[in-house]
Amino acid sequence: MILNFDEFQKANQSGSELNNIRIKNLNIFKEKGFPSKREENWKYTDLKTILSNNLSTLEIPNNKRTSQYNSEWLLKDFKHNQIVLVNGDFVSSDFSFEDKEKIKIKPLKIVLNGEKDFEKIRDYFTDQQNSLTSLNHALVNDGIFLEIEDNYSFNKPLIIYNFFNKFSENKIINNKSFISLGKNSKLNLLEYYKAEDSIKYFNNTIHNYSIQKNAMLKKFSIDSNLDNSYGYHLTNVKSYSNSIFENFLFSSGSSFVKNEIHCNLLESFSSCFVNALMFLSNQQHHELKTNINHKNEHCKSSQLVKSVLLDKSNGTYQGKIYVTKDAQKTDGYQLSKALVLSENSAFNSKPELEIYADDVKCSHGSTTGNIDQNSIFYLMSRGLSKEQANKMLIEGFLNEAIETITEPNIQLLISKLFIDKINKTKFEINEH
Amino acid sequence: MLDIKSLSASIDGKKILNGFNLKIKPGEVHAIMGPNGSGKSTLANVLTGKNGYEIKGQVLYQGKDLLDLPIEERAQKGLFMAFQYPLEIAGVNTNNFLKTSLNTIRKVRGQKEVDSLDFLKLVKTKTKNLKIDEKILSRQLNVGFSGGEKKKNEILQMTILEPKLAILDETDSGLDIDALRIVSDGVNALRSKERSFLIITHYQRLLDYIKPDFVHVLVDGKIAKTGCGELAVELEKVGYEKMGANK
Repeated sequence: MILNFDEFQKANQSGSELNNIRIKNLNIFKEKGFPSKREENWKYTDLKTILSNNLSTLEIPNNKRTSQYNSEWLLKDFKHNQIVLVNGDFVSSDFSFEDKEKIKIKPLKIVLNGEKDFEKIRDYFTDQQNSLTSLNHALVNDGIFLEIEDNYSFNKPLIIYNFFNKFSENKIINNKSFISLGKNSKLNLLEYYKAEDSIKYFNNTIHNYSIQKNAMLKKFSIDSNLDNSYGYHLTNVKSYSNSIFENFLFSSGSSFVKNEIHCNLLESFSSCFVNALMFLSNQQHHELKTNINHKNEHCKSSQLVKSVLLDKSNGTYQGKIYVTKDAQKTDGYQLSKALVLSENSAFNSKPELEIYADDVKCSHGSTTGNIDQNSIFYLMSRGLSKEQANKMLIEGFLNEAIETITEPNIQLLISKLFIDKINKTKFEINEH
Repeated sequence: MLDIKSLSASIDGKKILNGFNLKIKPGEVHAIMGPNGSGKSTLANVLTGKNGYEIKGQVLYQGKDLLDLPIEERAQKGLFMAFQYPLEIAGVNTNNFLKTSLNTIRKVRGQKEVDSLDFLKLVKTKTKNLKIDEKILSRQLNVGFSGGEKKKNEILQMTILEPKLAILDETDSGLDIDALRIVSDGVNALRSKERSFLIITHYQRLLDYIKPDFVHVLVDGKIAKTGCGELAVELEKVGYEKMGANK
């Protein structure tokens, strides 16, 4: 599978600052290619092979973009503000529950093309995390730019709908979001994904969050209604003094997805929580990689990842806690628990602690196992069929992750989506 | 109700039940007493359908072969075992579990499922009778329950499911005197002409509260002696050795 950049290069010859950045990053990508398992961070996820085995053609989107979506895809019975992205492009936004004076929202396209605005995001284009980051810098077309003023708390959650219609089929969609929360502000954010007619595409996204002093961002990412999608989502977080970042990931729908979350606890008393529920079947391949950087004193981080793997699915969690020598009194925690329920499924867990300070509290744990047959016997002795019993235990096991959600309404919403998903799943479980 | 004919069960080549015979008629309460290792819990497990036993002999339940039935069908047909060591099941909400269990059984029996509101009413009355703190309903099944709470939860399940044959496997062990009385009251309230009980215990104490029609002494995998309630009192005095146990 080879990407054809000719058309793209022709269109970006103007010599403007952005075009120069694009061409420079394109060349970096061309040199490196898609990540493969030769790279340490991609040891468990050989993207190059996955893409060439599954997406025989992958094209850069042309200018005949479309923005239709089915309004049925919007979540009902749940009051929320919304931004709709279709194929990565900013289509509409609705902040009717909020004081619009306090919020600055722009399609990223406008920011990219406006000299004054571009100032604000220019530095982000120097990040060379991996070749996909470079590719994103080169090809980014649109996305979100959102600024929340100091002291403003959102009344209702914001849902960012990531819709993909047939235009995206066999294409690589690159978008970015920039969201900054001013001092003492608060936002609950849901990233919700849905694609038309099981189309195949690759979505390469970079999210940049900046959380100022005393601010709180709770972010939820839900891919349970996707099926054939391929994706890479990189999240970079800058946390300032006493701020809170909570990230919940419901990783269950895409054929392939790698979520990579980098939290930088830059100032003291900031905290971040990364919790995830991975529920995979068939030939799904999902990875969560975290990198929690404790860069100052008295910061706290906590991670809980609960995974269930059926059929031929493959899951990976690489969780790293990095503590610099100045980050005394760090409190870092991570735990991964997985149920591997088929001989052909696999789960890789790689916890890493790298600590340079001497007065810290850090711990990690990882277990992989099967369903307890005595528990099955107990439930069946109360009249439940084997399938019901298995389902109840799996649901219970994964519920522990959902219970980490601190917003009751969102917990209820995700709980419903989870039950939808589990009810659609066929359980064939090996007793080994 | 239950007719066990020369039942043998072994696990990993070790014979535990060896030519066990027992007949229980509707409405009867039978107690089985015996020393450690005599096969009491194995009997309960085999009747409930636990895997891992090599089984010979025949068990008729309501005139039909019990040993061929899958675990859940036995429960659906009215067989219930109160576990000696109830399992802690993380993440499963107690109330949800009780409701799912009751409705699964009702559905199979062709009865209407109980809705959440009616179920809540039912379960609240039952917990009150058994002096169980209602809060356990919103907790994870048996997780962090005290020994007494776990045993009471078994009896709660029994009173909700209203079985035809209830097997109580050492339900009295680990209960204090007050809890023992409450649990016994719960059992006695369920006694009827149609419902039978098989009570497995080490001690006569429980049988002061639940008066059995028959007491059997189990030694080396078969019944060594059968009598009425008096036998339990005698056993307490002389011990199991006199009954033929050489341990």
